[in-house]
Amino acid sequence: MTALETRTPTRTPTRTTAPLGRLAAAEVRWVLRRPRTLVLLGLLALVAVALGIGIALTGGPGGDGDGDGPGLVAQVAGNGLVLPIAALGLALTLLLPLTVATASADAIAGEAAHGTLRGLLLAPVGRARLVVMKAAGVVTVAVLAVLVVAVVGVLTGLVVVGGPGGTMVTLSGTTLGLGEALGRVALVAGWTVVQLLAVAAVALAVSAFTEHPLVVLAAVLGGLIVFGVLAAIPSLEWLQPLLLTSGWGAGTDALRDPLPLGDLASSSLRALVYVVLGSVVTVVRMRRRDG
Amino acid sequence: MGRRSWVGAGLGAALVGAVGVGLLVAPAGAAAAPVLPPVSPEDLVSSVIAADAPALAGEVEVDNALGLPAVPGVPQLANGTSAIRVWSGGDGRGRVALPSADGERTLVSDGTTRWAYDSRERTVTRAPAGEGPDGPADAGPDAQDPTTAATQAVATLRQSSTVTVDGTAEVAGRAAYQLVLTPLPSERTLLREVRVAVDAETRLPLQLTVLAQGSGEPALQVGFSEIAYGPQDPSLFTFTPPPGTTVEDAPARDGAQPEGERQGTTVGDGWDRVMVGQAPQGGPGQQPEGEARPEGAPDLSALGTPVSGPWGTGRVITTAVATVIVTDDGRIAAGAVPQQVLTEALAR
Amino acid sequence: MTAAPTTPRATTASPPDAVAARVRGLRKTFGSTVAIDDVDLDVPAGAVLGMLGPNGSGKTTLIRMLLGLTRPTAGTVELLGHAGDDLPAALPDVGALVEGPGFHPFLSGRDNLLRAAAAEPRLDGDLRAPVDAALERVGLTDAARRRYRGYSLGMKQRLGLAAALLVPRRLVVLDEPTNGLDPAGTRDVRRVVAELRDAGATVLLSSHLLAEVEAVCSHVAVLQTGTLLVAGELAALLDADAGGLVVSTPDAYDAILALRAAGAPSYRAEGGVAVPPGPLEAPEIVATLVGAGVAVWEVHRRRAHLEELFARLTEEDA
Repeated sequence: MTALETRTPTRTPTRTTAPLGRLAAAEVRWVLRRPRTLVLLGLLALVAVALGIGIALTGGPGGDGDGDGPGLVAQVAGNGLVLPIAALGLALTLLLPLTVATASADAIAGEAAHGTLRGLLLAPVGRARLVVMKAAGVVTVAVLAVLVVAVVGVLTGLVVVGGPGGTMVTLSGTTLGLGEALGRVALVAGWTVVQLLAVAAVALAVSAFTEHPLVVLAAVLGGLIVFGVLAAIPSLEWLQPLLLTSGWGAGTDALRDPLPLGDLASSSLRALVYVVLGSVVTVVRMRRRDG
Repeated sequence: MGRRSWVGAGLGAALVGAVGVGLLVAPAGAAAAPVLPPVSPEDLVSSVIAADAPALAGEVEVDNALGLPAVPGVPQLANGTSAIRVWSGGDGRGRVALPSADGERTLVSDGTTRWAYDSRERTVTRAPAGEGPDGPADAGPDAQDPTTAATQAVATLRQSSTVTVDGTAEVAGRAAYQLVLTPLPSERTLLREVRVAVDAETRLPLQLTVLAQGSGEPALQVGFSEIAYGPQDPSLFTFTPPPGTTVEDAPARDGAQPEGERQGTTVGDGWDRVMVGQAPQGGPGQQPEGEARPEGAPDLSALGTPVSGPWGTGRVITTAVATVIVTDDGRIAAGAVPQQVLTEALAR
Repeated sequence: MTAAPTTPRATTASPPDAVAARVRGLRKTFGSTVAIDDVDLDVPAGAVLGMLGPNGSGKTTLIRMLLGLTRPTAGTVELLGHAGDDLPAALPDVGALVEGPGFHPFLSGRDNLLRAAAAEPRLDGDLRAPVDAALERVGLTDAARRRYRGYSLGMKQRLGLAAALLVPRRLVVLDEPTNGLDPAGTRDVRRVVAELRDAGATVLLSSHLLAEVEAVCSHVAVLQTGTLLVAGELAALLDADAGGLVVSTPDAYDAILALRAAGAPSYRAEGGVAVPPGPLEAPEIVATLVGAGVAVWEVHRRRAHLEELFARLTEEDA
């Protein structure tokens, strides 16, 4: 019971917030120890594996019957290195946004619900720094989620599906070597991360306004569905450039040869606008939020 | 944080949003019409015909409001905006890519052979150059290659049209003359005007715009949205069938064109020319239920509205720029004309 | 202060740097509900101030505004010399347990504390030593590696206390610290508070347990429906509220007559008479009784209990 006296204050720092690196590291450690993060990452790995096994079972290239699934999935048959790109495209429709939205929901709304946000504000972690710290955790989840799909996709594609001698056949009918094929996978992975950051920024902004994590999930996934509906209404075509999801087909472009960068770039720019908007709203809101 | 900084932050967010939206939405910006030395229509057309096809890479945007029925696998034909990627070696070699959401049709001409690759089917079709049905110039009925499209339009329509050079425009960042073809008042046609933008320097037609009667918006606009002249990577103009695909030699021309234009006769000339012929494989009205149609021929039996007249009965299909009547006894009449002109042609 | 004009504020004489926390004109409304209404309060440095009030009296809201967790509708807060936008600069030296402990159920108590320690500006280098020390201090060493999910209410409360004590603090704010604690836990809290006081820290403790406050606090503040009824040094408040004299005498009847003749009302009490505070001071009363021939066995000042004070204040107001 003498702890108070023995911890001499001689080396006590006089700073008023903890170092940002330590905060971010603690946040990342916390995010990665959370069971639901691990479950979602596992599910993402499972998507890639299941896709590969499913395609390997239903037949090779030109396999007749209703073997060709939706979209790019049909391209994977006998062309394993397309698997990571198809899996990323498939996961981007729901599972990846769900993963980052969950992380964002837990980051602020979840902390508020547990009463731990109060502790961080009282430490004090500066309110702007708190957003940076939270963003570090969410970005980590986004990057990891994409990496899991890409890496498991490549491995499954090579091992389970196989392909023409470690090469990738593009949609344009050309054949890419392993190195360039992996480069294309990396491009799609990076592009997917940028799109997920847009989702995460919006989710964090919503998260900053509520203490119910489910509200964040509902808002983000509902928003994506609404975007999809809006995109399908012909008279609202003028809205298309504003909708985050309208650029989500651009990942397919990585399978074309020569590589068209236009849509990948414009959809990334659009995503960055979402990131900036979401971040500004989050910071402004967090500066006023009650702890 | 006081109310003032709260407002400030709000304004900041609004500003960022506005700038972002501007970046996303703003069109390339209609540049002022470039100043070019005057040129007569004749000189312009002849220079177009005389000009060598340059080596280039570009993206062609098809803005389609024709109202054609959707044909699977060729989204560029359906209403809406689509893009086509074009590379030309300038020496008869070329590559065209028709991307769709999750696939692509690729056409490559390496000078001796024309290859067509369909990523959905993973089939390669091969044909000797100059004959195959899938060459770039043949990619669609409205000739999505602007070079061929504009040249044909000029040659065909000169006698029945006023041809003028109506100012200049900027297309895909290039200064261009606007060649305008307007039907003479005596022509009975659905078309109001056809504009061809010709690159002032290379004399390459850059854009084709078709305007229909009664509409301010183009019924069809095909043109480069991006173009870069210069030598292209030769590997673009070779094609090696990828492993795991089947290679087929293109069959001799089959009845893929359902309008029957090859077997038919024409009635009238100029803008109101009507083509009359026999529908391939029997009229759609007689086609037994469930019988396989020839590959590529769309099912016409469900399209259009029934019509009848002294010439018989059939169905009429109306689009923004053309009308087609398919009679129940298997005749087809088509033209860029109102329905009445077709029925007159059928009645002859 | 309009709430308790009769009570002298114990801290008015203190110099500014002797005040650990100070609020002026503090007001908080949620919609049309007034949670805190024009409260002025000083927490003297080194004091153990108990904040008393029935549930819903605004204790937690006041504490939250003091710590910058909630923005006041009006008024100012000063914490360890920092005020306004600078308020967070005081927080590294403030430990707090507000509105119950907040931790993540999937982490062990120790990992939860490690996470909290990472955010503490005053900690450097290895965080495990201070965390283990804090766990030891609240008696949680044995359960440190168990998941927070499985903690009992008392263990959760202890962990919250540990988080507030991770670093040597100048001010410790404990909102209902003994909630859910068994008697041993309550004793531990008392011990910790005493240690903090001995180490020179200021403690602000909210509670609805009067005995607890009376046992550990040097100062009290009483809140009711958002209004500060009274604030000051506990001893002074109890003295001021003292109920006059109690005289042990077998001659109660004579005593009452004699005092009435002297102008001091009194009444019969067990074993004698009670003399409420009146015009006569204690020596005059004794002289009067002795002069009247009343046998006086004992005279003592009647000390009030906090419970009486509290009951009188809150009932008066109601």
